[in-house]
Amino acid sequence: MPLVWPLLLSAALFGIGVYGVLARRNAVLALMGVELMLNAANVNLVAFDVWFRDVLVSGQVFTLFTIALAAAEIGLGLAIVLRLFRTYGHVDVDRLGGEP
Amino acid sequence: MIGLALVIGLPLLAALVGLAMPNRLRAAQVAVGGAAATWVVAVVVALPRFGDAEPVGGSWGHAWGTLSAPAVTFALRADSMSAALLLLAATVALLVQLYSVAYLADDSQYRAYAAIVSLFSASMHAVVVANDLFVLLIGWEMMGVCSYLLIAHYWKRSDARDGAAKAFLMTRLADVGLLVAIIALGQAVDSYRISDVLDAVAAGELSSAMITTVALLMLLAAVGKSAQFPLHTWLPDAMPGPTPISALIHSATMVAAGVYLIARMYPLFADSRSATIVLGLIAIVTMLIGAAFALAQDDLKRVLAWSTVSQLAYMFAALAVGSVVAAIGHLLAHGAFKALLFLVAGSVAQIVRSTAFIDMGGLRRGLPVTFVTGTIGLAALAGLVPLSGFFTKDAILGAASDSAHDGGAAPSWLAWSILVAGLVTAVLTAAYVTRTWLLVYGGERRSPFHAYDPPSLMRWPLIVLAVPTVLLGIAVLEPGWLGGAEAEPVHAWIAVVSTLIVVVVAGLTWLVGQSGDPAVRLGPARPVLAREFGVDAVYDRFAVRPTLDAADVVLHADSDVVDAYVRGASSGTMTASRLLRWAQNHNVQTYITVAVVGVAVAAVLAGVSAS
Repeated sequence: MPLVWPLLLSAALFGIGVYGVLARRNAVLALMGVELMLNAANVNLVAFDVWFRDVLVSGQVFTLFTIALAAAEIGLGLAIVLRLFRTYGHVDVDRLGGEP
Repeated sequence: MIGLALVIGLPLLAALVGLAMPNRLRAAQVAVGGAAATWVVAVVVALPRFGDAEPVGGSWGHAWGTLSAPAVTFALRADSMSAALLLLAATVALLVQLYSVAYLADDSQYRAYAAIVSLFSASMHAVVVANDLFVLLIGWEMMGVCSYLLIAHYWKRSDARDGAAKAFLMTRLADVGLLVAIIALGQAVDSYRISDVLDAVAAGELSSAMITTVALLMLLAAVGKSAQFPLHTWLPDAMPGPTPISALIHSATMVAAGVYLIARMYPLFADSRSATIVLGLIAIVTMLIGAAFALAQDDLKRVLAWSTVSQLAYMFAALAVGSVVAAIGHLLAHGAFKALLFLVAGSVAQIVRSTAFIDMGGLRRGLPVTFVTGTIGLAALAGLVPLSGFFTKDAILGAASDSAHDGGAAPSWLAWSILVAGLVTAVLTAAYVTRTWLLVYGGERRSPFHAYDPPSLMRWPLIVLAVPTVLLGIAVLEPGWLGGAEAEPVHAWIAVVSTLIVVVVAGLTWLVGQSGDPAVRLGPARPVLAREFGVDAVYDRFAVRPTLDAADVVLHADSDVVDAYVRGASSGTMTASRLLRWAQNHNVQTYITVAVVGVAVAAVLAGVSAS
C-alpha cells in the first residue's frame, strides 16, 4: 500500500480535529477535536513505521504510549468539563471566563 | 546690648506665642503685653543715647563668612538717631496694638493679625538697630512681607488683594537695589558692618564711582520703600488694609525705613553729588505731585496716603540739602501726627461705615475726642504755629535756605528749587488739609449715622498721640539731642512766610468751602489730579501688560507645545493598547486560530523558501 493513503487519512483527521477545536463551542466537542488530532499523529507514526520497516518498531511503541497518554488526558479533560458544567451550568467555551 | 536684642526678640516672641494662644482674649493679651514690654525696653535703651552719648553696640554669633566673602554677624548698634526711631516705632506699635483690640473686636482673624503686627514691629526694630547690612536687609524684607500680609487682611476684597500684591511687587523690585548695594559694599570694604562701611567712606577708601553706584542703588530701595516718585503708586492702593495698619505703615515702620536707610548711610550721599541731585529731584517731584493728588481725592484715607507721600518727600529733601537732623525730626513729628490722623480716620470710618467724604460731614458734634485730636493732627500736618509740624517743616525749609545761600552737599540751584517746591507744597498742604477738615467735620451730615466717641481702648491712643503732635516741636528747638551740629532753631523769615501761607490759604479754602467742596474750584485739573496723572496706566501699559502677555506666551508654550509631546505620548500608548486589547479578547479559540494560521503560514513560507 502506498504511503500516501494513510497520510491522506491522517491529514483529513487532523483537519477535522483543528476544525473541531476552532469552531465548536461545546467544550466536549472541542476535546473530541483534540483527540482526533492526536490520532492523526498516531496514524502518521504507524504509517512511517511500516514504511521504514523499523526493526525496533519504535513508531508503533510510541503509538501505544500516545494512546495511554490520550486516555489519561481525556479523563482529566472530561473532569474539567464536568467541573465547568457544575459551576456555570453550561460548557459553552465562548461564555466561560466570567463570573458564574 | 541685651536691650538691643530684646527690642527685636520680644515682639518676635510675642508673635510666635500669640499664634499659639487658644482664643482672641489671650492673643490680645500677648500682643499688647509684648508690645508694652518692648516699649519699656526701648525706653530704657533709647533715653541714655540722646545728646552726645557714645553709641552702644555689639555682635553675636558665629561669623558666617567664607574665604571669599566677608563675615556676616548678628551685629547691633544704637546711636541717638536709632534711639529716636526706636522710641517712635515702639510707641506707635504699642498704641496700634491697643487700638486694634477694639477696632478689630469682631474680626475672626485677629490672632494672625496681632501676630503679624508684632512681627512687623520686630522687623522695623531690626532695621533701626542693625549694625550689619544683612541684619538690616532681613528686617527690611520682613517688613515687606508683613505689609503684604496686613494690607491683604480683608483678603475677600479684590482691591485689598491687588493692593497688597502691588505693594509687595513694587517694593520688592526696589529692594533688589539694596541687595546689590550690600554685595558691592561687602566686596569693596571687605566687611558688612555698617560702622566699618561708614569708616571706610570717611577715610576715603572707596572710589567715587563706587560711592555713587552704591548710593543710587540704596536710593532705589529707599524710593520703593518710602513710596517716592516714580514708585509712589503702591502706597495709596494699600488703603484697603485695616486702618490701624495704615497708621503703622505710614508713620513708624515701612515708609520710615526708606528715610532711615538714607539717613543711616548719609556719608555715601554726602560724597556723591549725582546721588544728591537725583535724591533732591525725586523729592521735589514727589512732594508736589503728592500734595496735588491729595487735593483732588474723594476718600479720607487716600488723602492721608498722598499726604504721607508728600511729607516723606520733605524728609528726602532735607536729606538732599544735607540736614539729617531736620529729616529725622520731621520723620518723628510726622510719625506722631500721621499715626494720630489714621487712628482718627479709623474711628470716623467705624462711625460712618465708609471712608468716602461723601458719607461724612458734620462730625464735630457728639465726639469731642475724635474731633479735637483730629483737628490737632490736621493742623500739625498743615504746619500751623506752635504744633510739631510747624517746627520740623521750618527746620527743613531752613536747611534748604541755608544750603541755597552757603552751599553745601547740594548745588545751589537744587537747594533753591527745593525751597520753592517746599513752599509751594506748603500751600497745597494747607489747602488739602483745610478741605479735608471741612469735608469731615464741617457742614451738615451727608449720611445718616450716630456719632459717638470710640471705646476707651481706641480713645486713649488718640489722646496719647496728640501729646507729641503738639509738643514734639520743642525737641527741634534743642537740635543737639540728635548729636548733630548745632543749627539755627527757627528761621525767622521762613517761619513768617510759612505761617502766612498756612493762614491765608486755609482762610481762602475755608471761604471757598462754604459753598461746597473746595476741590470743585480746581476745574478741569481735578479729574487729571484724581487720576494721579495716569502713572498707573503707564505702568499698566509698559510693565504689567507686557509681563502678563509674556506670562501668557510662556503658559501657551507650556500647555500647547511642551504638553503636546506628553499628551501625544499618552494618547499614542492608549491607541496602541486599544489595538492590542482587541486581540486579547478572552476567547481561547481566537488565540488558537491565530496560532494555527500562523503555523500554517510559517510552514508554507518554509516550504516555499526550501524549494
